[in-house]
Amino acid sequence: MSERTRNIASVAVIAVMAVALLLLTSTQPATSDRVEQIGTRLKCPVCQGESIANSPSQMAEDMMDLVSERVSSGVPDDQIIDELLSSYTGAVLLDPPASGNTLVLWVAPVVALGVGIAVILWWRRHPGQKADEATSPGKSRTRLVIGGVVLVLAFAGIVVVAANSLQDRPAAAAGAADIDEQDLSEVSDETMEAVIAANAEDPQVNGMRLALAERYFDGGDYRSAFPHYLVVAEDPNATGAEAITALVRLGWMAYDGNGEVETATRLIDEALAIDPGSSVARYVRARVLWCGAGETDQAIETFEELLADPELAAETRTQIEEDLEMANDGGECP
Amino acid sequence: MLAFLGSAGVIAALIGSILLVVRGIRRAQGGEADIRTPGKLVLAGAVISMVAMQVALLTDDFSLAYVANHHSSATPFPFDVATAWAALEGSIILWGLVLAVFTWVVVRQASDRLGSAAVAVMAGVGVFFFGLMVTVANPFEVCVDALATGCAASSAWPFTAADVPANGPGPNPLLQNHFLMAVHPPVLYIGYVGLTVPFAYAIGALALGVPGPEWLRRSHRSTLVAWSFLTLGITLGGWWAYEVLSWGGYWAWDPVENASLMPWLAATAFIHSGLVQQRRGMLQAWNFVLVISAFALTILGTFLTRSGTINSVHSFTQSAIGPALLGFLVLVLVGSFTLFAMRSHLVASSPRIETFVSREGTFLVNNLLLTVYAFVVLIGTTYPLLLEAFTGTQVGVGEPFFNRLAVPLSFMLLLTMGFGPVTPWRGAAPGLLWRRLRWPTIVALASGVVVALTVTRVAWVILAIVLGVFVVAAIGRLLLEFAGARKAKSGLSLYREARTVIGNDQSFWAGQLSHIGVVLVAIGIAFAANLPLHTEVELAPGESVEFAGYTLTYDAPFRREEPNRVVQGVRVEVSREDRIITVLEPRANFYDTEMGGIITPAVMSRPSGDLYLTLRNLDAETVQLGLDTSPMIWLLWLGGVTTAAGGFWSLAMRRRDRVVEEPLVLADV
Repeated sequence: MSERTRNIASVAVIAVMAVALLLLTSTQPATSDRVEQIGTRLKCPVCQGESIANSPSQMAEDMMDLVSERVSSGVPDDQIIDELLSSYTGAVLLDPPASGNTLVLWVAPVVALGVGIAVILWWRRHPGQKADEATSPGKSRTRLVIGGVVLVLAFAGIVVVAANSLQDRPAAAAGAADIDEQDLSEVSDETMEAVIAANAEDPQVNGMRLALAERYFDGGDYRSAFPHYLVVAEDPNATGAEAITALVRLGWMAYDGNGEVETATRLIDEALAIDPGSSVARYVRARVLWCGAGETDQAIETFEELLADPELAAETRTQIEEDLEMANDGGECP
Repeated sequence: MLAFLGSAGVIAALIGSILLVVRGIRRAQGGEADIRTPGKLVLAGAVISMVAMQVALLTDDFSLAYVANHHSSATPFPFDVATAWAALEGSIILWGLVLAVFTWVVVRQASDRLGSAAVAVMAGVGVFFFGLMVTVANPFEVCVDALATGCAASSAWPFTAADVPANGPGPNPLLQNHFLMAVHPPVLYIGYVGLTVPFAYAIGALALGVPGPEWLRRSHRSTLVAWSFLTLGITLGGWWAYEVLSWGGYWAWDPVENASLMPWLAATAFIHSGLVQQRRGMLQAWNFVLVISAFALTILGTFLTRSGTINSVHSFTQSAIGPALLGFLVLVLVGSFTLFAMRSHLVASSPRIETFVSREGTFLVNNLLLTVYAFVVLIGTTYPLLLEAFTGTQVGVGEPFFNRLAVPLSFMLLLTMGFGPVTPWRGAAPGLLWRRLRWPTIVALASGVVVALTVTRVAWVILAIVLGVFVVAAIGRLLLEFAGARKAKSGLSLYREARTVIGNDQSFWAGQLSHIGVVLVAIGIAFAANLPLHTEVELAPGESVEFAGYTLTYDAPFRREEPNRVVQGVRVEVSREDRIITVLEPRANFYDTEMGGIITPAVMSRPSGDLYLTLRNLDAETVQLGLDTSPMIWLLWLGGVTTAAGGFWSLAMRRRDRVVEEPLVLADV
């Protein structure tokens, strides 16, 4: 076979196989797992930069469950993502759209590639240019000055931005010592989670931990509140007041969430062991016994004793008065 | 005692570094100065500080605040050793030690002015890192306010009376879950810190105004050292994530993973473009830019990891070290590029490139692709930080963004890898490329067709196979051509001649081994990303489920108390055709410091791929398990190690190559 025939044969074989491959392959992912794909496009709110598909956290699992439910009921991808973004604060799209303030992310690499190609082509035509220019000292000095100015400006920009980035992220970057001084009402749950995680070993973080747990508690999210209360309750360095709050809340959640009256009273008794006079602990204990064990009389007794205390906070007083009235009326717990 | 010893070591290393800077500069200016003694001082100081930390960890000396806060008497071997780099201050000791060793190597080779200047630069970097250890990141502070476990306050003065806690909380549970934690960070650090050496030679050459071939030769060799370790370190890191992080992945475009990839890409580009300068005298200025960038990117990576600016499984609790690292980064960039601008008139003019169809042409394309790749990773990693700093807007940049840009770039790089090695320097004779690539193309396409008909029709996998086989076949075809030409003359066997061909130009063939490693990684990624199976099941004891051709039977739950943790999980029998293959134990490890358990997957490895079980939920009646397969995942680990092996081989041979006559030049064939 001549070289020419061999070449023609080769080209033919290559062409046939290339066409065969084009016909055989499919660009659809084999897993075609839309759930998984949507999962990689969202950042898990409580994790350390992981997508919800990759995170083992409870919240990520809940979100993935929601995704698979929506996918199976035929909701389009974008709508599912929008729903998750609006219902989970702190969930962030990991797939930046090619528009608005993330457009530059998509444009810049293309521009970089274009500039690279242009430089290479230019360099091919003018390989010696650079050295000729450099041999004339005047040009060289001008270029040096311009280069220097550009560099200084660029780096000044970086420094300013970076310094801001550290300052603007006080919650995420603050030392534990600053935690108490912050106004927590402005801080988001996720940020607090992040700070707490970052300073987990610091006893001073307990204040923030409790504040966050109270938020979850007030919102009825016992599951999220629980671990934080538990840490504070078990921390030997927590202050008495912190420990009492944590134990009382744990007790209430044990009753309200799981119906475990015994566990609840045991936890609240631990709080009372720290301070037998704690009105919150006594109130919650009485209420648990009343609602959970039907001990109405004992509850009425405790409520009356508490109301006798002139220093009782007005809010708590109203609450106890309401409860007392109900207990006196029929004994049914609300 | 250990606090004193450790602090003394750090201070000795700091003083030694300062002396080295001064004497290095004096010698670089042509003066006489002893650099060996301060070099030894730096090395001894760094070794002493690491030994002091290790002794403290192994003897449970909780009087050191670092030990009190990151170690526990129950921490088993080798995690007690690894605790030395499991948190911020300790990791800087490791950094300092590796830097001291590299500095010593540079000192030993500094027989001329360039070497002396490089010593001064190395020592300058040393002053910064040892300086960190005596200021914002002191690992040898004495605990003065003990907690029940851990330490609340500490003092830098080593003779302070210590308030010794009874025990500590132990290292981060994720870091004591797998033995790789003892290996991955040191290997990666050798890679990271190793990139200081080429930087030092580059800055030395610029400062002395001698941007000739000598700095390049030394920088090139030292970059290969760093690059090989970096490759190995990144591979080990991926393996660790896979074995520990329980989502079956090995790479998530996490900012800190990206921080290791960026210098790797820059170093890879330099390894290629450095060859262009050695062979053709081109790209001199570009090589300076690459070497400086690779080093700056390692400092950027360290800043991202250590400053607490980003949240990641890698980041340590933030500290004042962030601003210090940022300042150092700015200093490095401004200083290096100003120096470069001042010396640019000395950088020789580049000879004209004759044609892009030449080795140097393919290297140009390779450098363009690698640089754009590094830029994509850089912008994707830093843009969310910058945007938030400027506008307060939070945006996420994750897997989907990186995959969309990195995947096409990776395929283009694979294609370049097929062309590059078979294209001669200066330009190919007409028809040469066609002769060399005809069969590889046919074999590659045929493999694609076979795989499409038998295994999968997923386009990405087929493309990876076709390009991968193309690269490997092109390498094989080239070897056969050279060996065949020799055989025709000598009449010896083809195998013997092939060995001779490889032996004559080992660094070239070592490079091809690395290419084969990259191909394995690419095919491994394509399989793992496109063909995994996944399902979630709930089983009661005795119940079975069929998955990926195996029968999985939930045997029973178990609970084991270990010194540092409680392990709770389930035993699952894996069988095929009624034959039990193995028993897997997906589990959760409970540590005192952590509220929930650390979910730890159970992995069964087989040539066709891994079976990967993850515990989701366990209660009295049932267990919920995540079942995954990772097809051909071992290709990734093998590929990573092969790529690094190519680097090490090339290093081992480079010395010999210098004595051997100039090896076979491809253009002559």
